[in-house]
Amino acid sequence: MENIRPQDMGIPSKQLAKPGEYQLMPLPAPYDKPDMEPDFNAPNQSWSENYCTSLDGFIGNDMLLRPKTTEEEQEIIKKFLSGLDKLFSEETNRNYLQPLMLTFENCAKCNTCSEACHTFKASGGEEIYRPIFRSEVLRKLYKKHKQGGGLLNRFTGGDIDINIETIMRLGELAYRCNLCRRCAQTCPLGLDNGLLAREIRKLFSMEMGIAPKPLHENGTVNQLKTGSSTGLNRVAFLDTIEFLEDDLYERTGKKYKIPVDKEGADILLTHNAGEYMAWPENPSAFVVIFEEAGLNWTLCSSDFIGYDNVNYGLFYDDAQARKIGLAQMKAAKELGVRRIIVGECGHAHKAIALAIDRTITGADNTPRESFLPLLLEIIEKKALKLDPMRNNFPVTLHDPCNMGRMMGIVKPQRDIIKAICPQFREMTPNGAKNYCCGGGSGFAIIKSHNFPEFRNKIASRMKFKQILDAFQDTLENTDIPKYVAAPCSNCKGAIRDILEYYGTTERYNVHYGGLVELVVNAMVQFEKPFLEFLDKDSFK
Amino acid sequence: MLLLAFIYFSILAFIGISAYRFYLYSRMPMHGRWELYPVPKEPGEKGHYGGSYYEDLEWWNKPRIVSHFGEMKEMLKEMLFIKILFVHQQRLWWISYSMHLGIYFLGLWAVLLLAGAVTELSGLPLVTAGIVSANPWAGLVYYATFLSGSAGALLLTFGSAGLFLRRLFNNTLSKYTTPQEYFNLLFLFAVAISGLVVWSSDPAFQYGRDILKGLITVSPIQAGTALTVHILLLGAVMIYIPQTKMSHYVAKYFSFHKVLWENEPNLRNSKMEEIVKKAMGYKPKASWSAPHINPGNPAPKKS
Repeated sequence: MENIRPQDMGIPSKQLAKPGEYQLMPLPAPYDKPDMEPDFNAPNQSWSENYCTSLDGFIGNDMLLRPKTTEEEQEIIKKFLSGLDKLFSEETNRNYLQPLMLTFENCAKCNTCSEACHTFKASGGEEIYRPIFRSEVLRKLYKKHKQGGGLLNRFTGGDIDINIETIMRLGELAYRCNLCRRCAQTCPLGLDNGLLAREIRKLFSMEMGIAPKPLHENGTVNQLKTGSSTGLNRVAFLDTIEFLEDDLYERTGKKYKIPVDKEGADILLTHNAGEYMAWPENPSAFVVIFEEAGLNWTLCSSDFIGYDNVNYGLFYDDAQARKIGLAQMKAAKELGVRRIIVGECGHAHKAIALAIDRTITGADNTPRESFLPLLLEIIEKKALKLDPMRNNFPVTLHDPCNMGRMMGIVKPQRDIIKAICPQFREMTPNGAKNYCCGGGSGFAIIKSHNFPEFRNKIASRMKFKQILDAFQDTLENTDIPKYVAAPCSNCKGAIRDILEYYGTTERYNVHYGGLVELVVNAMVQFEKPFLEFLDKDSFK
Repeated sequence: MLLLAFIYFSILAFIGISAYRFYLYSRMPMHGRWELYPVPKEPGEKGHYGGSYYEDLEWWNKPRIVSHFGEMKEMLKEMLFIKILFVHQQRLWWISYSMHLGIYFLGLWAVLLLAGAVTELSGLPLVTAGIVSANPWAGLVYYATFLSGSAGALLLTFGSAGLFLRRLFNNTLSKYTTPQEYFNLLFLFAVAISGLVVWSSDPAFQYGRDILKGLITVSPIQAGTALTVHILLLGAVMIYIPQTKMSHYVAKYFSFHKVLWENEPNLRNSKMEEIVKKAMGYKPKASWSAPHINPGNPAPKKS
């Protein structure tokens, strides 16, 4: 359908937008040649019976199920409308009412935000991905169905019909935004379409009980039940630590004893538990650095979320975010540590440092900080013997939005990487103005149906372009390994997937990983490279 | 006398409704942290590249340095030049800035009309028998009024018409423009045009000073048809603006100062901690209904 308008969200059609019909943002060489990237696959016909494929054919919210009866349909509409009331109520949305109202009431529709959005740009300008599209649908719905809906409300923009299609599509559309808030940086009025996308997710989750399974049921609910969104319970965690110690011995030839539950330690180090499963070399690298630097630190095996700093509530549900955040703070308090250091996980940085900052007081308020300033201090004080030439290959750095744009941590990671990587080069743009990896706000772990295709081809496309641009000088020289440092689990997941989807590791020797791995790789005391894609010869 | 009363009313309504809007935003509950970098009140280079106190080791043990100058400077750039729009969408900036600059000039013009009125009431006419007074102050007020008034009227006319036409003919903007948003621009354009009509017969804006003198001395205003229409339109738009999103001069303060640039940490024994404690003491009278929030509610069906 051409020329889609927000008012079209409710019209019956098989698929409102067909991203594959337009030319996506071109990729740089060598991906500018035909057949270098896989085509879109048509959604499975049977999906449309149960899910909402009528937005753009992708399914991101796998719990948004099509009603089977008129009664079910009416119930969904009723709940949506009651959720709309609660979104704008001081009683139920105290924490976000002011920023919500500011954005809701004052957008001048200047459309400056669109140019800042990686999804909109990468899609080749698909209308439904325009940041104001989603916001305008919400505005129109509220004006028409909550502010009277008469002639005066039509005059102010309340001109959208509410039906099951509108609601289903809006519930999907809320999961086409990474909540990276890059658009808000360019708004002349300081308004935030990312916030509105999150508020819509909240309405669906907190009132209607509808949120993607990987975030809610397998995510926050699982974490509150087992201690981790990965399902890793305390016993399994302790087994994992033993495995890490063995693995470290194999990697480094040195026996490390990982401190767990050390009461009164200076530092409680927290990781995204996904690291233990997918990238154990990352928590291992932390062990090496912290032990060699002689820090007084510990991990926490508390049943109550001490070993998983993930908080997916941040992406879709204030209540879940709060429960998890407070449990993590409780674990730190019970252990009596002086401070919490957050490892390489972007959203965990924001969740523990910012999102729950105004919900804790007194002794519950253990100071939290990023691992980055500490790592920089370790390097600057020369607590580790490092040889940058061990990292003498092209390296670029991805800035997780939650560290850069949301927390203002920009310089330490650059000072670190410049000290240990002689061939470091920046992506453009970078720092607080970076582009999201496309995995933000839960996209990295939403793998239902064909959603990964949306992520790889559209949401992560800008990041992939940036990576290719950063390595243009050596990309096609397959003898030279290239490394994307992404100090965040979700970002790593998204980057892993694009490198695999586009065959970039296999074809062009491009690798990815965290920042601490590069530090350990530069440590002269170890004979073998820490990075597995390097062979021993590359150290000579 | 009715016209005079209407002018008093419209001025008071503009101030009163704007203040009320400010009050409504300010009394909203404390929100969770939602800052966005760069935050210009971060000191030195940090304010530019987007750094913060979180870059410092054990930041909570370091003195919190806030650059009020940096914040003020960035806010002034935004207020005076609409800098963000200039950086990110220059083509629209030319038109939008014309309109906003026109309004700023007209604000200055109003102040200068007041200065001229007070000067004349003090016994120093700005113009006598068609000749501008030789008194430096009177001359300054006269010419500054002329320049600001003419620039303001022309820029507002051009800007409001330009924005209206751009919204109308740009396919993307027209999709998102509501009838009210067209009306708002036309309303401003109508005020500007009616002002140009009045100005064409009185290029020195003596009518404006006479109105201000009437307002100061509470004396009836002599107004022909064109001036009456202009006063009615101008008064109406002043009553109307603060009730619409054209009052973003209020919202912008909150969206930047109280949301995007508000990164005050909650430290033990800090003022913020007191605010947090108070906020945490509030017991909401309603709650959300999803099963994980209210376990009594039925869960949605599963796939």
